[in-house]
Amino acid sequence: MHNPILHKLYQFRRVVVLLIICLVFAVMLPGIFLTWGNFRSVLYSVSLTGIMICGATFAVLLGGIDRTVSGNAAVSGACCCALILHFNSSDGGAVAAMAAGLGCGLLSGLFHGLVLSKFDIPAFLLTLATNQVLYGIVQYITGNQLINVMNCRLFTAIGSGRLLGIPIPVYILAACFVFSYILMNHTVYGRWLYSVGGNREASKLSGIPVKKVICTAYMISGFMGALSGIVLSSMNQQASSLQANGYENDVLAAIVVGGVSLRGGSGTLQGAMFGALLIGIISNGLRLLGVDAIYHDLVKGIIIIAAIAFDMYSSYKMSGLKRDGFFKRMKKRRQAAAA
Amino acid sequence: MSDLLFEMKNIEKIFSHVHALDHVNFDIRKGEVHSLLGENGAGKSTLIKILTGVYPKDGGEILLEGNPIEINTREDATKQGIACVFQELSLVPTLSITQNVLLGKEKNTLGVIHYGKEKKEIARLIKRYDFPLEADAIVETLSVAQKQMVEILKALSTDAKLIIMDEPTASLSKKESEMLFQIIGQLKERGVSIVYISHRLEEVFNLADRITILRDGKNAGVVEKKDIIPGEVVRMMIGKRLSEATASRELAMSEEETVLEVKGLTRLGYYEDVNFVVKKGEVLVLTGLVGAGRTEVIRSIFGADPYDKGEILFEGKSMKAGIKGTIRAGFGLIPEDRRTQGFAPLLSVTRNVAVTNYDRLAKSGFVKKASEDKLGEETVKLVDLRPANPKVQVGNLSGGNQQKAVLGKWLTRDLKVILIDEPTVGIDIGAKDEIYEFIEELAKKGVAVLLISSDIAEVLRVAHRIIVMRDGHVVKEFDDGSVTQEDILLASSGFGMTGKEGQNDA
Repeated sequence: MHNPILHKLYQFRRVVVLLIICLVFAVMLPGIFLTWGNFRSVLYSVSLTGIMICGATFAVLLGGIDRTVSGNAAVSGACCCALILHFNSSDGGAVAAMAAGLGCGLLSGLFHGLVLSKFDIPAFLLTLATNQVLYGIVQYITGNQLINVMNCRLFTAIGSGRLLGIPIPVYILAACFVFSYILMNHTVYGRWLYSVGGNREASKLSGIPVKKVICTAYMISGFMGALSGIVLSSMNQQASSLQANGYENDVLAAIVVGGVSLRGGSGTLQGAMFGALLIGIISNGLRLLGVDAIYHDLVKGIIIIAAIAFDMYSSYKMSGLKRDGFFKRMKKRRQAAAA
Repeated sequence: MSDLLFEMKNIEKIFSHVHALDHVNFDIRKGEVHSLLGENGAGKSTLIKILTGVYPKDGGEILLEGNPIEINTREDATKQGIACVFQELSLVPTLSITQNVLLGKEKNTLGVIHYGKEKKEIARLIKRYDFPLEADAIVETLSVAQKQMVEILKALSTDAKLIIMDEPTASLSKKESEMLFQIIGQLKERGVSIVYISHRLEEVFNLADRITILRDGKNAGVVEKKDIIPGEVVRMMIGKRLSEATASRELAMSEEETVLEVKGLTRLGYYEDVNFVVKKGEVLVLTGLVGAGRTEVIRSIFGADPYDKGEILFEGKSMKAGIKGTIRAGFGLIPEDRRTQGFAPLLSVTRNVAVTNYDRLAKSGFVKKASEDKLGEETVKLVDLRPANPKVQVGNLSGGNQQKAVLGKWLTRDLKVILIDEPTVGIDIGAKDEIYEFIEELAKKGVAVLLISSDIAEVLRVAHRIIVMRDGHVVKEFDDGSVTQEDILLASSGFGMTGKEGQNDA
């Protein structure tokens, strides 16, 4: 394709898709969809998966996958809530509890990184299994009961507080995004990450400390998972034994919709975040339209498929491998016959 | 001309911004063997892929016996009588020959297959061409050559008028190749046309009735059998005179200081008691047959693999283990298989070559983007990369240019030693020459070069000294005097050494 406008459109295709969907909802929901309040609530609802994405994308860029983001969130939330109660809901205790929750995430990430860099096993299988283990640990911590944390101001402020009218979780998401974005795009570590994801053996022979790169990636993923678990517990003011269960699917869907290759080495954090926004906006729009909740998953699934199809089709079209469609072929044939 | 079967006229193909085919013409007569020659990246495979419906064309037309036809899918190509014998065989190993040949066209009544009838039919076909095959033999029990015959049978069973063979002799022995040539002769007699693609020029000159030569996606000439002059054809392919391949070479021990010394190096099960020195500005070639343990030796030197016994001395001092340390000391490695070990295909040239250079391109962990981009551009110029664009994904380059990008990882560093493993496998002649020039240039700059090569012409082209390895041992060293292709061949195969030893593994 040599058309510069088409090329620009292609580059910003995801933004275009997002704008079109917003436009549709804006027309269908005049005066409701395009409001500051609604925008805020979309961001608020996306913040949890968004924080997880800021971590899990590292694993996917390595050609791996981290399905334990939800398990990490659950363990960290439960651990944090239990410790806050242990410390009688004091502010100092809350800080220590949150640090412990984040520590759990780092530890889990370190474990996955060490195993995956040492042994040649598919990350999908490992994290599928360990996620189960993590939920087992949560049940042990919570004793299958809700742990309610009502009286710790500092802790509950994280989930329900606002600063300048914007919910705190959105700030946390923004901070995570900036951190991960800079790490991926402006640091040597980021270059290593893409290189190891692109070709592990070549990276090793180029002097990259491959094992460290892998461990770090899973630790970041574990940390971000744990962080979102704390935010979630704070929003709910409690920890449950099934907390965040199923989020890993939303996170992976968003990353894939955002064009990050599951084979590793290709894709961007902005793309993954687009995926999260897309799914968030669709859920929000459906809710506002009054669509019964039983249809949400169905519609979301279809739109995710459409988004992936569009993405693959447009890159296929730009690659020069696409054939002319039926009408274009007929037109060419007519032109040839006329000439 | 009335005897033309297929004609491809003014074919054009553009990949993103690269003009892969630029108004290329190619035609095939009935019952002829037509060879398509060109370096890697000249457009041969693209042209064939258009003819077989794998790629759509961006311009031009395809005629069958003078009538324009559309080939949009592989099925279209099959219907028009075009069949392909692929380099990587496309057979189902667990099925019989009959099942494979009739795959997708099984004779059946309401889904029940008439295997007996099928078998008879295939047996007839085998007999007609006199192939050494049994109709119900399981494909995985066959030799490579026999599998290829099954592929040809598959083509014949669809009444193919044209069979395309892409590097058919690449994995055949000499005897098997002869058999294939006989089959080609038979096919010709029966009026089947053949497009024959091969890097082995000798075969092409013997077989082809006509040769079409492509260069840089354009027609570079068509030669009839009677007009074939090998030197002329090669010149058309590369567009310049090939530097004379030396038949023998004068070797000499360098007087310079020793940079790298290997003493009694042993890795059990791979190689044993390997000793040699590489001096400043010298090209030491490690040759021998594949599997002699050469790659393992240089991987140990580079720190990629461990070793059990012995010592590696760099500038007189013992080397510490680990790739990072060896790179910092001034080592570089061009690995054996660039695809699996050399580069990340989805990343740009800049990102690939920068990977070994972040010690210079970063400040406290942050990448200096301007320096990184500058390095990319510098490297592209330095290795004369084509296209000269540092933003291209390395996976999209031709084999030779991919190798140049891998070279580029090290060229801008302060190199002391470079370890190079089979640098020109699967690379066309022109790019080969360029890579030899890089090696010579590096040596001239004082870099100690340790090169592994099984290509004897290559060994003689670049070596200052030669070491021959066999079965994990150094069996011969050529340090000075004149050495010929024969000397090296004999040493690496084990003949003419110390009596009987090694005769049986030749």
